[in-house]
Amino acid sequence: MTTVSAAVTVSASGLTLRYGATRALDDVSLRLGRGVTGLLGPNGAGKTTLLRVLATSVPAASGAFTVLGHDPASAHGRQEVRRALGYLPQTPGFHPDFTPFEFVDYVAILKELTDRAARHREVRRVLDEVGLAEVRGKRIKKLSGGMRQRVALAAALVGDPGFLVLDEPTVGLDPEQRMRFRELIAQAGEGRTVLLSTHQTEDVAMLCHRVLVMAGGRVRFDGTPAELAARAAGRVWRSTARDPGAKAGWRTGTGGYRNVGDPPEGADLLEPTLEDGYLLTLDGDRGDRGDRGDRGDHGDRAEATA
Amino acid sequence: MTPARGSRPGVRPSRALPGARVAAALVAPVWRTLPWRTLGAAAAVGLLVVGAGRAVGAGPVETLYGLRGAGLALALGVAFLLDDPARHTTAPVPVRRAVRTLLRAALVTPVAGLWWAAVLLLVPGTVRPPAGDLTLETGTALVLALAGAAVAVRYGDAPEPGRSVAAALLGTAVLAPLLLPGHWALFVPPNDPGWTAAHERWARLLTGAAALCAASLHERGPHGQSRSVTSPCGTSGPSRTS
Amino acid sequence: MTATALTQQAAPAVARSGPRNSWAAVLALAAFEARRLLLRLPVLLAFALHVTWIVWRTLQPRDDYPVLQDADRATQGGPLLVGLAVLLCANRAVLRSTRRDTERHFAVLTLGVWRRTAAHALSVVPLALLTAVAVTAQFTWEALKSGAVGRGSVAELLTGPLAVLLFGAVGVLLARLVTSAVAAPLLVVVFLLLFVGGAFPSSGQETGAVWLDPVVTTAGAHPYPSDLLGRPAGWHALYLAGLALTAALLAVLVSGGRRSRAVQAAFAGALTLAVLGGVVQTGGVPARTVEARVRASVAPEKEQRCVRRGQVRYCAFSEWLPRVAGWARVADRVQALAGGPARGRDLLVRQRVDVRGGLLDDAALAPSTRPGQVTVGTSWGGNRVPEFSTAVAGVLVAGDEKAASVVCDGRMVTVMWLSLAWQSDPESALRGVRLDDSLTGSAIVVSRTEPLLMTAGQTKVVRALFDRPFYGVAARVKAHWAELTTPGVTTVRAAELLGVRASVGADRCAR
Repeated sequence: MTTVSAAVTVSASGLTLRYGATRALDDVSLRLGRGVTGLLGPNGAGKTTLLRVLATSVPAASGAFTVLGHDPASAHGRQEVRRALGYLPQTPGFHPDFTPFEFVDYVAILKELTDRAARHREVRRVLDEVGLAEVRGKRIKKLSGGMRQRVALAAALVGDPGFLVLDEPTVGLDPEQRMRFRELIAQAGEGRTVLLSTHQTEDVAMLCHRVLVMAGGRVRFDGTPAELAARAAGRVWRSTARDPGAKAGWRTGTGGYRNVGDPPEGADLLEPTLEDGYLLTLDGDRGDRGDRGDRGDHGDRAEATA
Repeated sequence: MTPARGSRPGVRPSRALPGARVAAALVAPVWRTLPWRTLGAAAAVGLLVVGAGRAVGAGPVETLYGLRGAGLALALGVAFLLDDPARHTTAPVPVRRAVRTLLRAALVTPVAGLWWAAVLLLVPGTVRPPAGDLTLETGTALVLALAGAAVAVRYGDAPEPGRSVAAALLGTAVLAPLLLPGHWALFVPPNDPGWTAAHERWARLLTGAAALCAASLHERGPHGQSRSVTSPCGTSGPSRTS
Repeated sequence: MTATALTQQAAPAVARSGPRNSWAAVLALAAFEARRLLLRLPVLLAFALHVTWIVWRTLQPRDDYPVLQDADRATQGGPLLVGLAVLLCANRAVLRSTRRDTERHFAVLTLGVWRRTAAHALSVVPLALLTAVAVTAQFTWEALKSGAVGRGSVAELLTGPLAVLLFGAVGVLLARLVTSAVAAPLLVVVFLLLFVGGAFPSSGQETGAVWLDPVVTTAGAHPYPSDLLGRPAGWHALYLAGLALTAALLAVLVSGGRRSRAVQAAFAGALTLAVLGGVVQTGGVPARTVEARVRASVAPEKEQRCVRRGQVRYCAFSEWLPRVAGWARVADRVQALAGGPARGRDLLVRQRVDVRGGLLDDAALAPSTRPGQVTVGTSWGGNRVPEFSTAVAGVLVAGDEKAASVVCDGRMVTVMWLSLAWQSDPESALRGVRLDDSLTGSAIVVSRTEPLLMTAGQTKVVRALFDRPFYGVAARVKAHWAELTTPGVTTVRAAELLGVRASVGADRCAR
C-alpha cells in the first residue's frame, strides 16, 4: 500500500476561477499529503481546471496555494513549484518526429537538468520505469496510444518531482496497460504527493489513500475511499426488475437488477462499492441544488451535472 | 521506504547560470521542434516570387511588390514559429517562456537573414529598391508576426495558434494599404516623395512590434485577475464505471 | 457487463437516407459548411469591406453620371478581395477534419471523402450568390441614377461572382493537394501580387494573355459606346466558370472520386469549357469591332443621331442621347452670356471619340476646324462640365475649336468668364479645369481636345471679374463683344474694357 504521511505537502484555500458565467473553480480548499489522492467528478466538474491551477499552468483568479512550501504567487515561487512538479496534462501532445528518448530528454532540459550524462541516465531510468526501454529510439508517431501515454508519464516523472499531477492518465488504455499504469502510479506515489484525476472509480479504489469528489467547481467529498463507499451502506440492493424508486439501476450480467438509492422495506441489500458512494454523493449534490431528476442513468447524470 | 526527493545524483538542476546553460542544452531539441517545413515553404514562395519577377524582367515597381510579397510570405511562416503541439507538457516548467521563445527566434534569425540576402541578390541592381529600407519593412513584418504569435500564446490556450496569427497578419497586410490614410501610408513606391517619411513610420512600427513582442514574452503573472476566457473545461470522455 | 436500464427503451426512429440519397446528404453538408463559411471572420470582414466600398464609391459626386457599360466592369474589383477571403476559409474548412484529427472517424462514414470534398466545393456557391447580390445591387444603384446612360452586360456582372467561385474552388483543391496550414496564406500572397498588385504578365494590356487573369478591368480613360468595347466578357465568364468547375472537380477526383464515371466526364467537360473560353477570349478584338471603332472615330456622323435644342444641334452616339438635356443647359447658359452675332449663332455639338488606339489610349482629340462645331466627350459630371462650357465659350469667341486652342491674348479672359461666370461656384470650377488645380499663376486648361493656356495675368483678371457684380460684367461683355473677340486684343485691354484694374504684363504663351 502507499505510504501515508500526515505532513501536508500541498495546501490550497479559496481557489476560484470563472470562465465567463461558468464557475470552473468555486472556493476550492484542500490539503494534500504524501501518497496518491484521487480526484473524481463528472465532466465539467472543474477537475482539469484544478489540476492546471495547481500545476501553475493557469493562474487562479483568487485564492492561494503552496506546494512543498513554495508559494507560486510570486514569479520566484512559481519557478520553485515548477522545479518540484511533474505534470501529465489531459491532452499531452507530442512532437511526432521525436523519439520517446528525445522528447523526454527535451522536457528534462526544460526542467533545468543541464548535466548531459546525468540527464541521459535519468531519461533512461524513467523510460525503463514506464516500460518504454525497447521503443525509446522509435518515433512517437509510430507508437500506440498507450505507449504515447507512457511517454507523457515519463515526461512527468523525469527529474524526480516531489509533486505529481496526473490528469486522466488511464484514459484509452486497455485493461492490461491500465494495470501496468496503476503499478507505475502506485510506485510514483511512494514518498511523493500525487494528485490523480480520473473517471475510473476502480483506479481510486486500488491506488488512493484519499479521494476528493468535485462537482460544479466545488469539492463535495473529501475522505478515504472506504468512507466514500460507506456513504452507500444500506442503499444498494438486488431485485428481479428495475426498482422504480432507485436513483440508478441496471441489469447485471447474472440477470438480476442492482439498484442504488433508497431501498424498499426488506430489500436484499448488497455490499456497497466506492462507485455507489460516488453516485450517491453526486446525487445528493443534485438534490441540494433542487434539480433532482428522475432518470437513473449514470451517464445522463454526469452530463446533467456538467 | 521513501527516498528523499531530489537526492538522486546528477538530477538536481545546476544553479550556476541556469539560463545560459539550459539555453545551450535546449538548442538542439528546440531546433528540431521548429516548424521548418512551414518556414521552408514560405521561404520558397518568397524566392519563387522574386525569381519569377527577375525571369520576366519586372520593372522597379513590380520588383518592389515582389520583394514585399516575399517578406510577407516569410512573415506568414514565422507566424507559426511558436506552435508547439506539446505545449501543455512543456509550459509548466522552470525554464521561463521568454527563454524558450527567444531561443526559437534566435535560431530562425540567421536563417532568415541568409534567405533575405539571397532574395535581395536575386533582384537585378538596376531595379532594386533601397535595400536598407526594404530590409526594415521585411524585418518589421517578421517581428510583427512573432509578436502576433507571442500574444496568441500569452493570451490563448491553443498549442498551435499559428494559423490564426497568419490569417490576421495576411488580413492586416491586405487592409493596411487600402485603409491607411495618406499621412500614415506605409506602402509607398520608391520614387514617392513620402518614401523617407514612410520608413520613419516603419521604424516606429518595428519598435512598437518589438515592444509588444517583449511584453508578451513573459507568462501572465501568477495572479491573473483580468483573464481572457478559453476552454472552460477538459474534454474528457464520458464517465466509465464498468 | 452491465447495461443501463434506459437502453431497454426503443430508440426513436431516425430519418435515414438510403444510398440513393447520398446527394441529398452532400447538399445538406454543403449548406452546413456554407453557413460556417459565411460566419468566418475573414469572410465577414471581406463582405463588410466590399459593401462599404460599393457605398463609398457609388456616393462619390463624380459618379453621378455613370456609363453603364463601364459601371458593369467596375463591379469586378471588390469581389477579388472576397474571393481571397473565401479561398482562405474554404481551405481551412476542408483541412479542419485533418487538423482536429476527425479524419480517421469521418473516413469510415457513409459520405465518402470525395463527396465531402464536393460538399465543400458546393459550399462556396452561396457565397458567390451573395457576391452576385452585392454586384447586382451596385449595378442597379448606378443604373437608377438619373444621369445614367448606356447598357450593362450580364457577362461582365457575372465575372465578380464567378471569380469568388473560382477562388473558393481553388481553396478546396489546395487543401486536397497540400495539408499544410501555411499553403493557403502563401497562395493568397501570390494571388495578391498577380491579380491585385498587377504583376500578372501582360497586365495593363487590352487583349491577349491578360484575359487569363480572373478580372480584367481595362480601366480606360474614357467610356465608349458598348458596341466598340470588344471585350470578350461572355467567353471570359465561360472561362471562369469552366476553371472553377475544373478546380472543384479536380479536388473531387484527387480525393477519391476517380472511380465515378460521372465525375470523370464532368471534369473533362469543365476542362473543355475552360480551354475553349480561355482560347477564344485571348483572340483579340474581332475585325468587325475594329472596323466599327475606326468608323466611330473617323466619321462619327454616320453612326450618330442628332437633335436640335434652340440654336444648337446635338449629335451623339445613341446611348448618350439622354445626356443632351444636360449639355443643352450648359451651352444655353454660355451662349446667353455672349454678345453680338455669337449670341444668335447656330452651333453643332458633336460627340467624338478616338478608339482607334484601343480602349486604354488616352490621346486628346484633334480640335475641330469646322466653324461652330463643339466637341463633347463621353464623360459628364464634375470637371467635365466646365471643360465643356470652356469649349463652347472658345468656339463662340474664336469661331472654331482649332482657333480657340491657340488663343493667346485677351480673348482668353472672355472665354473663361463666359465658361465659368454663370456657374454656382466659378472659382472652384476654375480650379477644376486647370490641370494643376491652382488659382494663381499660369496653367493649362484641360479640354477634351487640345488644352488651352491661361497666363498668370489672365488668371488674375478672370478672378477679379468673378468678384465684380455679375450683371455689370455681363453688360460690359455684351457692349464690347466685338473688340473683346478681336484676335490680338491684349489682356490689358480686355481688363480695361471689362472694368478691371489689374497690373498684368504682355501676353506671352509658352507652349
